[in-house]
Amino acid sequence: MKLVTLLAQVDTDKCKGCRTCERVCPVLAIKVVDRKAVVDPERCRGCANCEQRCPDYAVTMIKREKPLQVGVDVHEVNYDEVVALCAKAKLHPEQRICYCVGTRADEVAAAIIKGARTPEEVSLVTGARTGCTIECIQPILRLLEAAGCELKPPEGGWQWYGRTATAWDLPEAVKQKYSSRGFYFEEDRAVLDKLVEEGIKGGDA
Amino acid sequence: MRAPIKPIPPKPSQYGIDPSLVKTRIADLPGMTSVSLKELFPDLPEVIFPGENGLAKVRQAAEEALMKVDMSMIKPEHSVNVLASHHGFTLLGGEPYAELLKAIKDVIEKRTGCRDIRLRAGVGMRFRETEEYIKRYGLDTYYDGKAIGIAPVDQGIPIETEIGTLYGIKKVYDADWIVHAHHSDVREVHFHRQVDKAVKPFGMSYARIETRSTYHQNLGPRGANFVARAIFDSEFVQKKFAFAAFLNIAPNGVVGVDVDNDLYALNDRVTFTGCQYYGKIMTLFGEIDECIAALDFPCPVPYVFSAGVIYANFTGANTDLYDLDAPLPPYTWYTEAFYGKRGKPLLGDIPPVNPAIKMCVHNYAWTGYPSAFFAEQIPTVVVGQEQAELFNRDPLNLNYMDYATVIKSTEAAMNFAYRATGTRKVIIFDGAMGGINVSEPLAELLTRKAPAVSERVDNELLPKWLRQRGVDLSVLNN
Repeated sequence: MKLVTLLAQVDTDKCKGCRTCERVCPVLAIKVVDRKAVVDPERCRGCANCEQRCPDYAVTMIKREKPLQVGVDVHEVNYDEVVALCAKAKLHPEQRICYCVGTRADEVAAAIIKGARTPEEVSLVTGARTGCTIECIQPILRLLEAAGCELKPPEGGWQWYGRTATAWDLPEAVKQKYSSRGFYFEEDRAVLDKLVEEGIKGGDA
Repeated sequence: MRAPIKPIPPKPSQYGIDPSLVKTRIADLPGMTSVSLKELFPDLPEVIFPGENGLAKVRQAAEEALMKVDMSMIKPEHSVNVLASHHGFTLLGGEPYAELLKAIKDVIEKRTGCRDIRLRAGVGMRFRETEEYIKRYGLDTYYDGKAIGIAPVDQGIPIETEIGTLYGIKKVYDADWIVHAHHSDVREVHFHRQVDKAVKPFGMSYARIETRSTYHQNLGPRGANFVARAIFDSEFVQKKFAFAAFLNIAPNGVVGVDVDNDLYALNDRVTFTGCQYYGKIMTLFGEIDECIAALDFPCPVPYVFSAGVIYANFTGANTDLYDLDAPLPPYTWYTEAFYGKRGKPLLGDIPPVNPAIKMCVHNYAWTGYPSAFFAEQIPTVVVGQEQAELFNRDPLNLNYMDYATVIKSTEAAMNFAYRATGTRKVIIFDGAMGGINVSEPLAELLTRKAPAVSERVDNELLPKWLRQRGVDLSVLNN
């Protein structure tokens, strides 16, 4: 759940149509049309990436007159399916995956069960990854992949490039080579496994 | 009792309130004093900054160290990216790190004849933070207009590693050579656990979101920093790496400059000093039985400093953050993630946030880092409506003020904290150089406890910490 209080606003006098804003928007809410950036206020989730990366300082974040509530109610889907999807992605359903918005794995799973097929669609309906826009991309990709979604980044965009390694698929040789240097790979995996098990046992939100 | 040390002044930034709104510093309030770190721990090293010769000593140390490293791979026709990170600019006012960055450019030019030297300064989560530092310290002019801030959402580049594809920021690597310009300050021990700290920027401030998310979500609390090593060890990065130049920092100031073509040799030295010097301060902070934590520094909430220790680490000072046998510190993102909907940990063995912190008085600290967890766990008072509003407008902190309350003035906030908690022990995170600003009762406690802490770290904890990391004492001979 996120109460979206901010909205990107473009100063068309400053905008040079470089498309940086388009490439960094996690919900594809800003597009360059006729060499000027245009914001879709219904899609903007107020993350400020466009404002922070615009090389011409053409974007400001303004307070919305009427805040926008976004979120997916996990009770609108079969929660057993949510638990199963989270377990497949090696996540606890109650695990917080977006530290800025506070979105938990079960809400992202519910969004996917309800039809979200890309990270951008997940962010649009849940608000996840519209704070720092950095740290929660991997669990979102893991949940989408677990649901059988094809992971294809937005064409020409810099939103995200791909899923990466997890504690469960580190090569054995790497673990052996570096475990004496303070990397507790196996022990960490056991902690994460225990969390996943607790999630399966807990079940009911 | 000695007078408080002058705190680091507020700085103009889009991430903090206007400095004119910071009317009172906590250190200026009645009953505050300071403790010298050298008096607490006499074995802390002698420092060159702060000192009577100021930045000139840093410059001299940098030039001397840079003259000794091999730069023969850099030819006059080549390009070099000097890689910097935001945190260096928060150390001791920022000038020593900026001076190192200037010296690197000058010495490379002088020794190699190379003129195409660029500064690429990475960030944490405040994408324009290093842009601000570049302007503040005149680095844009110094680097002939070739200094830019880079962010983890900027265009990426895939890097093939031992654990598969990870992603760096393209502009980090768009030169023939890279120079890793960093420092040995420990900062986020809760994240990196002093494992490969010197390598960390390759998985963080030089890296794309996919890599950083791998660190904080995919590998686990003690395996996380391996992403940095994986990227640094890649063929792609090794072909470009020239050398590393580090500001050698201790809790009491700048010790010198360490430059090496072998980052792992430097890393072992950083591991040793990080455990030894900072380990003593953190262990001492763990002896504090009750206190009010006062935040008063131009940095986001978790990063405000006291004696080189950040507030985020003080929230975990009830445990041994260096002990790798303990998987989850009281605060780290894995820990935060593992708190369920009812506000309880999802795993039984997660330690609580430092119960000695009875209240947090947020006099002055910046936005730009998700900080709601701290206010959720620790009663927090924010000084001034303007500061509260700034947090309400920060996409990373929309929930921070759901848990914190606002009080109009610093004096009123502290009086409220004294009455509500019943303690007069105050620790101030204001970046005081060379010492700690605290209230008199806390000064007495720290002074009394320090000798036993020093002995315990030297004889018991330090050998264990180094053993866990595969580092032996011979690193100091290099």
